[in-house]
Amino acid sequence: MSMAKDYTMEKQPACSTKSLSNYFPEDHPDPAKWDDCVHCGMCLEACPTYLETGQEQHSPRGRVHLIHAVAEGEIKMDQSFSDAVFTCLDCRACVTACPADVEVGGLIEEARGQIRRAEPLTGWKKAFSSTILEKLFPHTNRLNKVGGLLRFYQTSGLQSLTRKSGAMNLMPDHLSGMEAIMPNVGHPVREKYKNMPVIPAKGDEVKGRVAFMTGCIMDVMFSDINDATIDVLTHNGSEVVIPKNQTCCGALHVHAGDRDSGRKLAKQNIEAFSDSDTVVINSAGCGCALQEYPELFKDEPEWKEKAEEFSEKIQDISKYLYDTGYEKPQTEMKTRITYHDACHLAHGQGVREEPRQILRDIPGVEVVDMPNADTCCGSAGVYNLTNPDMANAVLDRKMENIPENLEMISMGNPGCMLQMAMGVQKYGRSERIVHTIQLLDWAYKKQKEEQRQLQTSGKG
Amino acid sequence: MQLMRRKKKVSANQDHHIEAFFKIVGEKEVLFEDVDMLSYNCDGFTIHQHSPKAVVFPKNTREVAALVKYCAQNDLPFLARGAGTGLSGGATPLNNEVIISLVKMKGLLSVDYENRKAVVQPGYVNLHLTNSISSKGYYYAPDPSSQYVCTIGGNVAENAGGAHCLKYGVTTNHILGLEVVMPNGDIISIGEDGVPDSPGYDLLGLLTGSEGTLGVVTEITVRILKNPEMKQTVLAYFDQVEDGSRAVSDIISAGIVPAALEMMDQTAIEGVEEGSFPVGHPRDIAALLLIEVDGIAAGIDEQIEEILAVCRNNHVKEVKVAEDDAERGRWWANRKTGFGAMGAISPDYLVQDGVIPRSRLPEVLEQINEISRKYELRIANIFHAGDGNLHPLILFDSRNPGETQKAVDAGSACLKACSDAGGSITGEHGVGIEKIEEMRFIFSDEEIEAQTRIREVFNPGNLLNQGKLFPMPGRCLEVKKAVQ
Ligand SMILES: Cc1cc2nc3c(=O)[nH]c(=O)nc-3n(C[C@H](O)[C@H](O)[C@H](O)COP(=O)(O)OP(=O)(O)OC[C@H]3O[C@@H](n4cnc5c(N)ncnc54)[C@H](O)[C@@H]3O)c2cc1C
Ligand code: SF4
Ligand code: SF4
Repeated sequence: MSMAKDYTMEKQPACSTKSLSNYFPEDHPDPAKWDDCVHCGMCLEACPTYLETGQEQHSPRGRVHLIHAVAEGEIKMDQSFSDAVFTCLDCRACVTACPADVEVGGLIEEARGQIRRAEPLTGWKKAFSSTILEKLFPHTNRLNKVGGLLRFYQTSGLQSLTRKSGAMNLMPDHLSGMEAIMPNVGHPVREKYKNMPVIPAKGDEVKGRVAFMTGCIMDVMFSDINDATIDVLTHNGSEVVIPKNQTCCGALHVHAGDRDSGRKLAKQNIEAFSDSDTVVINSAGCGCALQEYPELFKDEPEWKEKAEEFSEKIQDISKYLYDTGYEKPQTEMKTRITYHDACHLAHGQGVREEPRQILRDIPGVEVVDMPNADTCCGSAGVYNLTNPDMANAVLDRKMENIPENLEMISMGNPGCMLQMAMGVQKYGRSERIVHTIQLLDWAYKKQKEEQRQLQTSGKG
Repeated sequence: MQLMRRKKKVSANQDHHIEAFFKIVGEKEVLFEDVDMLSYNCDGFTIHQHSPKAVVFPKNTREVAALVKYCAQNDLPFLARGAGTGLSGGATPLNNEVIISLVKMKGLLSVDYENRKAVVQPGYVNLHLTNSISSKGYYYAPDPSSQYVCTIGGNVAENAGGAHCLKYGVTTNHILGLEVVMPNGDIISIGEDGVPDSPGYDLLGLLTGSEGTLGVVTEITVRILKNPEMKQTVLAYFDQVEDGSRAVSDIISAGIVPAALEMMDQTAIEGVEEGSFPVGHPRDIAALLLIEVDGIAAGIDEQIEEILAVCRNNHVKEVKVAEDDAERGRWWANRKTGFGAMGAISPDYLVQDGVIPRSRLPEVLEQINEISRKYELRIANIFHAGDGNLHPLILFDSRNPGETQKAVDAGSACLKACSDAGGSITGEHGVGIEKIEEMRFIFSDEEIEAQTRIREVFNPGNLLNQGKLFPMPGRCLEVKKAVQ
């Protein structure tokens, strides 16, 4: 039996870590991150994958422990290690729960980079083929799901519903009059405003200029939200520029462990926005990734500095409005709504109160609290495509918490919107899925429409 | 470096035991691969790390019994594990044990408000109980700081305490009945459905706090309490540790029984303020007290006045009463995440758990200071001052050669100081593997032998959680036994 006083188990001193380590020396996971972890387990109950499996290697504490163990040379980067690291939703709930501020998310991404390096990929094409081509296209059921989801979003979107009449019109009566003001779906704002270097502020007073990061998927699939964002910004006195050279934020690449592509995209964005002081974004996942660019450049001090400067400029739309002030709409919207905290807003950026305040400031909007509003919905980038079973289980838990008798569920992230649309469909519910900023935009537009009618009727 | 492919099946050299576990709980509920085993190689006490043979996840008592029976018949060491937040290595598989994880048995089976009791499965998380019954005005009193995650099964095994145990007692005072799988696989029920005093030996008392060495707990009947009508919380800052300590004694001598009476010293305050739940405590004070009184509304205000007066008599620098639940909540979150927050100021910590007579507080704290100087390691103190339960947190860096051993020695010296002051070596975290040698500070060889004999009755093969709680009998006893 091992005696209690025989402490030969001491870990090796830091300087020897590299030589023992089973990681590649480049972009080595940062020992300072696991050093903060005291193995207390206070993060366990926050972690959706631990709640689902009850297994330590699928908990934040377990993942940190394993990532550390590879660096100590105790285990190799084998398939079970990869499973533990890639089953993580990257939801960051553990970061909120952890008393010691351990950057679990950053560690996971570094480890994913190492795993991808161990399983060599030749650039973006291979990554694309493994995540999208291999995991999505060969699986007709998954593909259908995605296609169906898109259609569902489109048919469930306010615009199409208000344009159709009769049986399909599920719109609450008091909102259906808004048809005239609904924007078109599927017209990317980068196209729409391509000949406008500066989109001017409405009204007399110009508050300032912001650069808008449109997001890639967002601008194709959710261009109505991008439109709403620009309109809300200009309505509140901001000039908006859309720098042309901007590109995908790289979040999905980094989550998938393709850090080289992530770095390439990061560099392009850092340069594209070099003239801007404030960069506004309406997608929580992208915003969080942009703020974390410095993590990608540990080995490139020059770029690290630029990335740090860049990350300071990034503001989620709801936080930007909350901090700089916005007009409270004067019209009644009369709707019952609940708010879902996107992981990358609440845990990733600490933005919780701002969007709720915006909703509460719209007259007639009744905001119902959702229990565990800040637990993951299972979307997590492309996670719902790569780990469908876990994503579904996490979604089921989320849906259990959604209050009854609602008309809408609002949030600040496109990935969540798709996932929640799937949840609503799966459970045969009827809530509309909306972006927080859309609701504010509709209120402004309704208000304007009412004013216009008042004026014409006054004239007539 | 190539990514190794997962072995699809249990490989030939993997023994047939794994296959047997598959049959009992199903393939998905058995872990056995190296990486997975490594993630179970310790609990909240990380100095000792040993991988288990397998981890199995039973879903009900029947499966637990079948697993235990199988282990017993095949001479396989095994142990129970809850959330793995134990701080003394109780759930660490020293002997390559099969770990029976109870986290999938996490149901709340029934609540009987009329008779104020609830039945839970062992993997049910402590705080979930209070959360599930609070809307009806009830709560579960034992509140270890780890209550957000630790299991009631683990609480029973460790006889866990918490900030509010000063007034309400520790876990053992709240357990009414247990269902236990004995180390041979038999299922027994103890405790007479809420009848307080049943004839015969107090098995409930024996099992509670036995650190998982006498059986695997599979169902627990607990007492639930009605929420106090009113609650008030005081925060007091002191420039001298002695003043804070004296205030603690004076409050108790004044006849007040606070629900909680907690203390933190300067180093601890530095930690919690660097952690994730800072509340803005000043850094230049020597100690703070967090004092809570609760009960029927009448009289609470007078108690608070009296506490404020005691603090002022003891040169308090600043003292305030929580304005509302939100402020009280922030103070408690800051306190309850205190251990973990040490990660923000030190790569490793070792938490000790000594008990002393309250009156010796200033003197023992000074001795701990001396130990800190002698071993050149910082020691933070966060503790349940009201019941004299100290938690010196020894901060160290395991990457520095020899420092882990120094921390262990410093911890042991702290426990020696406690037992010399007429106290004990554990208040609530248990002995586990951590304090096994320190048991000799408080028990003679004969006393230890008497207790290991009790264990032998329940756990004759010593397959269940071997090497925990009691040191190997002293040499003379072994010789005596051999001669007999
Ligand atoms: C940050 C932090 C703060 C803490 N604060 C406190 C505190 O304030 N008060 C306190 O008392 N403790 C505290 N602890 C210690 C720990 O949380 C408690 O000992 C808790 O009771 C352990 O529960 P667990 O579910 O994590 O059990 P585990 O750590 O998994 O197991 C602990 C022991 O119980 C045994 N066991 C577990 N389940 C069973 C079962 N069903 N049947 C039989 N044996 C079983 C195990 O074999 C082991 O010996 C703290 C720990 C941490 C990390
Ligand atoms: S990540 Fe944080 S909460 Fe989780 S075990 Fe480590 S220190 Fe504790
Ligand atoms: S990011 Fe989410 S899924 Fe990953 S370890 Fe943390 S809590 Fe768990």
